[in-house]
Amino acid sequence: MKWMPFILKHLQRNWIRTASTACAIAVCIFLFCTLQTFVASLRGSLSQGTARLVTRNSVSRFISLPNAYGERIVAVPGVERVAAVNYFGGMRDVNNPDSEFENYAIEAENFLAMYPEYMLSDAEKEAFLGDQHGCIIGRALAEQFHWKVGDAIQLTSNIYRTGPYDFVVSAIYQTDQARYPGTDDAALFFHHKYLDEATGRKAGVRNYRVQIADPRQGGVISHAIDDLFENSDAQTHTETEAQYSASVGVISGNLLLLLNGIGLAVMFTILLVTANTMSMAVRERHTEIGVLKMLGFSAKLVLCLILAEGVLLGIFGAAIGLALGRFLINILPTLPVIGDLVQLFPRMNVPPAIAAAGVVIGMFLGLVAGLFPSLFAYRARITELLRRV
Amino acid sequence: MAERKVVAAQSAVHLDDLCRTYERDGQRIPVLEHISLSIPQGEFIALMGPSGSGKTTLLNLIAGIDRPTSGSVEVHGINVSALSERALAKWRSRSVGFIFQFYNLIPVLTAAGNIELPLMLASLSRKQRRERALTALGIVGLADRAEHYPRQLSGGQEQRVAIARAIVTDPQILVADEPTGDLDAKSAEGILDLMQTLNREFGKTIVMVTHDPRAASRAHSQKHLEKGVLLEA
Repeated sequence: MKWMPFILKHLQRNWIRTASTACAIAVCIFLFCTLQTFVASLRGSLSQGTARLVTRNSVSRFISLPNAYGERIVAVPGVERVAAVNYFGGMRDVNNPDSEFENYAIEAENFLAMYPEYMLSDAEKEAFLGDQHGCIIGRALAEQFHWKVGDAIQLTSNIYRTGPYDFVVSAIYQTDQARYPGTDDAALFFHHKYLDEATGRKAGVRNYRVQIADPRQGGVISHAIDDLFENSDAQTHTETEAQYSASVGVISGNLLLLLNGIGLAVMFTILLVTANTMSMAVRERHTEIGVLKMLGFSAKLVLCLILAEGVLLGIFGAAIGLALGRFLINILPTLPVIGDLVQLFPRMNVPPAIAAAGVVIGMFLGLVAGLFPSLFAYRARITELLRRV
Repeated sequence: MAERKVVAAQSAVHLDDLCRTYERDGQRIPVLEHISLSIPQGEFIALMGPSGSGKTTLLNLIAGIDRPTSGSVEVHGINVSALSERALAKWRSRSVGFIFQFYNLIPVLTAAGNIELPLMLASLSRKQRRERALTALGIVGLADRAEHYPRQLSGGQEQRVAIARAIVTDPQILVADEPTGDLDAKSAEGILDLMQTLNREFGKTIVMVTHDPRAASRAHSQKHLEKGVLLEA
């Protein structure tokens, strides 16, 4: 510990360089922690939520399935409920695509029974179910557009062009983020029947939400559903809801690999930058290192001091990176577009294991970056070091 | 042989048939050739000679920061040239004080911090290190500049701090390479006065490399080198 003030003094020598190097490491750790947290969250989500399945067209999630599939799916052993869901793509202003927000046509009774995370009182539910033009909205949406129960809303869909569509706010649903983390409280749900009739029964069903009795039977039931439509025009693909959410978020099988690849590439680049900066810092101190060795500092001690500088720099960088990562992950849900994607996953936070790994990587970066300059200082002869200015 | 041992024992520094040759691009460049010299304890000796004559190389060999190609260097009876790197570093930290032309203070450390540096290698508490550093600063007349950084000091003051760093471990021998080479006449006089005091009152053996005849005149004796050969007086 007696060397700590000495090492810190050297790090303060050129604070701009120290700060920029620490920031480079911080960016690396920030990316690592953010990506790994995302990956961990994704993995977590893929292993959860198997009590609900999603059946969609096997060709594309943008191609509808026939309305009649619902009755056949619910007849599959193990299936408890089925609810049709269509993403509506409703915009408040037809001339402004940015006015689009999350809105879905749902088979309301079954959907609400399957999704306890959208909470309504019995009276509110009754009001919604009793009005074909009724809709329910989340609290965040109500606050955003100053909508209240009873307000008339007109939306134009960028998918179903037969509109405009008129709705009346039947209720504002509540969410419990502690119990159901990540529940979207900025969406609008209305009756699938209304959409179906308004489009002349051409809307079809984009996907069926399927509630099953035993989550362990998810795989078997998925196969059973898909087998049911194997010889039809519209073949189906059934997966767990979490997998479906992941695929909506453009999460293909290789994305994890891609994310890790990006992380490694960034890490390697920053390692080179940091190593170069540390080499420059040590090169500038040739004479001083010569003086230290001349005063009796052993080559090993000089090596350790320079390595310690690197490690300390790595720890500083990692701390900044972790703080940045935590901050970004906390504000992600509030960001446009990305926020919607993040909502699909359980509430993210940097897990302690990833934070610890971030610190270790920061230390490792500093250590490796300091290795070559410290080896130079270790090997160089005092007379050579003192000759340089 | 017996006579040589007696001489070595009585001398602070004893150089015996010392040669130093550098190899550059496959060429052997002799820098010092067959130097034999004894410097008695408490001596203040000036090494003079033109540039490239091998003065600094000789000083480096005496100080144990370079190794001879052949021959031996004994300082206070210790064959310095035979020590391992680690033992040599330890020996330097205890037995030699260095004074450079360009002071070579660590810019991020205060005057006291610079002086404490050699003491960091000893088993001393922070308080003990500070006390010794302040004592050394008092000896060089800069007790009130302990917390000043090198950039806040004049050249003469920096050199005084460098001298304080050199003497703080109470070494037996001080080696100085052009200690007044970067100073104005007045500051140079002050530094030479200080070195004389260290030699006279503290009994330090001083080996000083200099071009300056006025600086050399402060020494007890002068030795001249030319093309790596020690000239007879």
